[in-house]
Amino acid sequence: MSETLTITIDGKECVCEKGEFLYDVAKRNGIFIPVLCRSDAFADHRACCRVCIVEMEDRGWRKVVTACVYPVEKECAFYTQSEKIKEERAVVMALLAHRAPESDRIGQMAKFFGGEEGFERLVSVDGEKCILCGLCVQACDSLGTGAISTVNRGTEKEVDTPYGNPSSSCVGCLSCANVCPTGAIEYQEDEATRTIWNRTFERAYCESCGKPMGTKESVAFAAKQAGVEESRVCDECRKRALADEMMKTYRYV
Amino acid sequence: MTEVDQTSTIRKIIENYPADRRYALAAMQDMQRRFNYIPEDGLEMLSERLGCPKAQLYAMATFYKALSLKPKGQHIIKICNGTACHLRGSVNLATELKRDLGIDPGETTADGMFSVEYVNCLGSCALSPVMVVDGTYYNKLRVEQIPGILESYSATKPEDVTNHD
Amino acid sequence: MINGTERILVCCGTSCIANGALAVAEALERELASRGWDDVSVKLVRTGCSGECEQGPIVRFMPRDVVYYRVSERDVPSIVESLEGEAVQKLLHKQDGQAVERLEDNPFYARQHKLVLKDVGVIDPLSLDEYRAHDGYEGLERALTMTPDEIISEVEASGLRGKGGAGFPTGRKWRSAASYDEWPKYIVCNGDEGDPGAFMDGSIMEGCPHAVIEGMCIGALAIGAKEGILYIRDEYALARDHIQHAIDDAYAAGILGERMMGTDHQLDLSIVRGGGAFVCGESTALMASIEGRVGEPRAKYVRSVQRGLFDHPTVLNNVETLASIPIILRDGGEAYAQLGTERSKGTKVFAMVGKVKHTGLVEVPMGATLRELIFDIGGGIAGDRPFKAVQTGGPSGGCIPESLLDLPVDFDTLTEYGAMMGSGGMIVMDDRSCMVEVARYYVDFLCEESCGKCTPCREGLRQMRAILTDICEGRGVEGDIELLERLGHTMQDASLCALGKSAPNPVLTAIKFFPEEFEAHVRDKECPAGVCPELTRFAVDASACTGCGMCMRACPAGAISGARKEAHVIDPEKCIACGSCREACRFGAVQTTRRISA
Repeated sequence: MSETLTITIDGKECVCEKGEFLYDVAKRNGIFIPVLCRSDAFADHRACCRVCIVEMEDRGWRKVVTACVYPVEKECAFYTQSEKIKEERAVVMALLAHRAPESDRIGQMAKFFGGEEGFERLVSVDGEKCILCGLCVQACDSLGTGAISTVNRGTEKEVDTPYGNPSSSCVGCLSCANVCPTGAIEYQEDEATRTIWNRTFERAYCESCGKPMGTKESVAFAAKQAGVEESRVCDECRKRALADEMMKTYRYV
Repeated sequence: MTEVDQTSTIRKIIENYPADRRYALAAMQDMQRRFNYIPEDGLEMLSERLGCPKAQLYAMATFYKALSLKPKGQHIIKICNGTACHLRGSVNLATELKRDLGIDPGETTADGMFSVEYVNCLGSCALSPVMVVDGTYYNKLRVEQIPGILESYSATKPEDVTNHD
Repeated sequence: MINGTERILVCCGTSCIANGALAVAEALERELASRGWDDVSVKLVRTGCSGECEQGPIVRFMPRDVVYYRVSERDVPSIVESLEGEAVQKLLHKQDGQAVERLEDNPFYARQHKLVLKDVGVIDPLSLDEYRAHDGYEGLERALTMTPDEIISEVEASGLRGKGGAGFPTGRKWRSAASYDEWPKYIVCNGDEGDPGAFMDGSIMEGCPHAVIEGMCIGALAIGAKEGILYIRDEYALARDHIQHAIDDAYAAGILGERMMGTDHQLDLSIVRGGGAFVCGESTALMASIEGRVGEPRAKYVRSVQRGLFDHPTVLNNVETLASIPIILRDGGEAYAQLGTERSKGTKVFAMVGKVKHTGLVEVPMGATLRELIFDIGGGIAGDRPFKAVQTGGPSGGCIPESLLDLPVDFDTLTEYGAMMGSGGMIVMDDRSCMVEVARYYVDFLCEESCGKCTPCREGLRQMRAILTDICEGRGVEGDIELLERLGHTMQDASLCALGKSAPNPVLTAIKFFPEEFEAHVRDKECPAGVCPELTRFAVDASACTGCGMCMRACPAGAISGARKEAHVIDPEKCIACGSCREACRFGAVQTTRRISA
């Protein structure tokens, strides 16, 4: 049985299990901590955007920790709005706003957290929307496609396919684009095709109801990963068909 | 080297290690040593062997400085840019090389003869500034010595230096 | 007379090899053979780094103890001749005009206390027998008679702290790793010394590889590891070869392998070549690299001793730390703790380079002052120019001004001042070093070497580089210094790993200790040290110029003209302000002035 601890976050008493991430405890208790590189879809968090920093105080000793991956191991106090955190979050947001000047969301966040005024001197990356949170890579890896990765290091880091070429591993599922917090991953779509990461895919539609089902490749890949036969109809139609079958089978029981 | 030769050389390098992710870096370093870069085929075959996405190997190849994806020149000129060398004017060595070869650190001459690169400390700080050409150290180097050094390498015919093994 | 006990030690460390030591060693062998003195009567030993790299190649006669410096092939016959007679005067160290024969009488060595480096430069690193003849593997033999708890207690008693920079108590780390009942466990040696300007670990691996291996064996016994990995920087080819050689010999001798020295303990060691990334000196990045992934650190709230390499309990120690272990087990922790200060025990090896007279590797007890290191051992500033600053701890450390030269160098004191002892890199600067430019250099280095994962480090460095470049090139504006500080403080707190947290140190300490130099750049568009090309104009002072032509030869731009024995002139149109002429001039005739009028 796991141990329970009582901590305070901004003065509010919160009960949690030992080892629980601080972010999760705060969220459950209605305390807002901003995050960018964290998604509920994944159990692991990269802890790289550093927007969720908070201050921890233990026996008079204070330090800055990242809420999304900080496991609460003992009863202590946390501050999400201390002067230090406000200042440092403002700087982090200012840095992100100049990293991704094209992202409205980041711009608004920066303004909200004080990362706008006083940072006019910083240099912007022209035309950039990506904040390098890495969620897209995490999504692609977790699906098992592994088509994209971070490339280079340091200030030159970016996300791309190998050699920037169309990737044979990509199935055009849009997981990367959907998980992106700033809408930095672009794709084009028309009736028949979808183009992402320089590769064009044929779109798939449900043979029964005509609803879009992704791309031919993504449908095939999903079936292969699940170890089932490739479906030609969407989930809803498949369920409806199954129900009809049941009705027929059991009507006379 | 023909395509077939290259493929079998890559295979030999890869199969020298167990099919375990932890040997990815070593296999890529061996390819780097053999070909002066990592051919795309090499990444492809390694990805197959290790069962790990090519993108992740590509990420490594672009992350680690010991690896490169573009062929390097026949002669590799390393300018040490460790702190001691920097203080004793390693930047001037790069400037002189740019004047002589027309390339900045990180580039290769059009004829494929020379690559120039900045490297982190080579551990010979006491002899700064240091330049290393194909493993030969030039210590306490003065800019005016560089043209002569380059000439001694340009004189070497390509045939003499291609086969390192 | 030759009596058969003579040994000629030829330093074959990386720097001496670069200076031609191998050719000297071969010439010595030929000369000895031609006199019939080879093999039995006079033994020639190629040793690791003897420390004073700038004076290499270094040849030392034992047991008589005569040291020759800057030996060339031409000198070989005369020095072999001197085996039986007078020492060759011109190759001896000169102290106040007096020739000094013995190593211990050279102040560079006299004031050192060699513990980890004791055998480096003395024994043949490729010989297990020589290592054993110098008490090698005695520490391991003793450890094999002890319980893991006893071994750890001995290390705790020594007060040993991690010498890679962080200074975490080694005994505590081991005890923690030993406490987890989960196998496999790993012991990893961090030989990825990436600090630009430090080469201690490389020299230890080159010069006494068995000490590192013995340290790993003892560590493995203490925590219960059966596998160990040495992660060695790719550029350190010689260190890697010597370690591999030592591993092979240790297997052959039954030290490594299934039955460690005939006991039931097992340890396998292997080398992983580093990929070339400074960030891989950070423990979690290093482990990611060994696992075959990109060397990105992860948040370290769960420690490596619990979940490290391949998610198993792992102890990671640096080279110098591991090389200290055999001494502690052999002589006892108490003896080791006699050296050093209250909270920093034992010795520390420093790589002292830059504008100091005697550059090289030095080992002193913890707590020695910077002044002792730079002036007593290093002999002061090259060319007797004024001392300006010493940079300790590389890209993670900071610049320390003259007013703090009497601080003891240990794990904690320099940290209080915003710098750090770090792994032991020590770069001495004179008045011709620009602190703004040095700060920019480190930021430039880190922009490339940061892994790029977290925002404060990656973006903070990018902005710092832009601002510092502007300042160096005369585009600094009011408020830049304060903005740099603001960015720096957030990076220190909010970065993900130790690299990012310490990345702003060179900038913040430079601002703290040399504010007037920053202000001169920003406000007056002046580089007081005459380094930043955009701010500096070079000219020859005709009254001091002797017309020797040295500057003209040194100028890469062909900007200097003048007849022999007449004052030379620098053409400002052609001048690229590289400073080569000023370095070359022995009469102080090259002057710098402000380029942009205020």
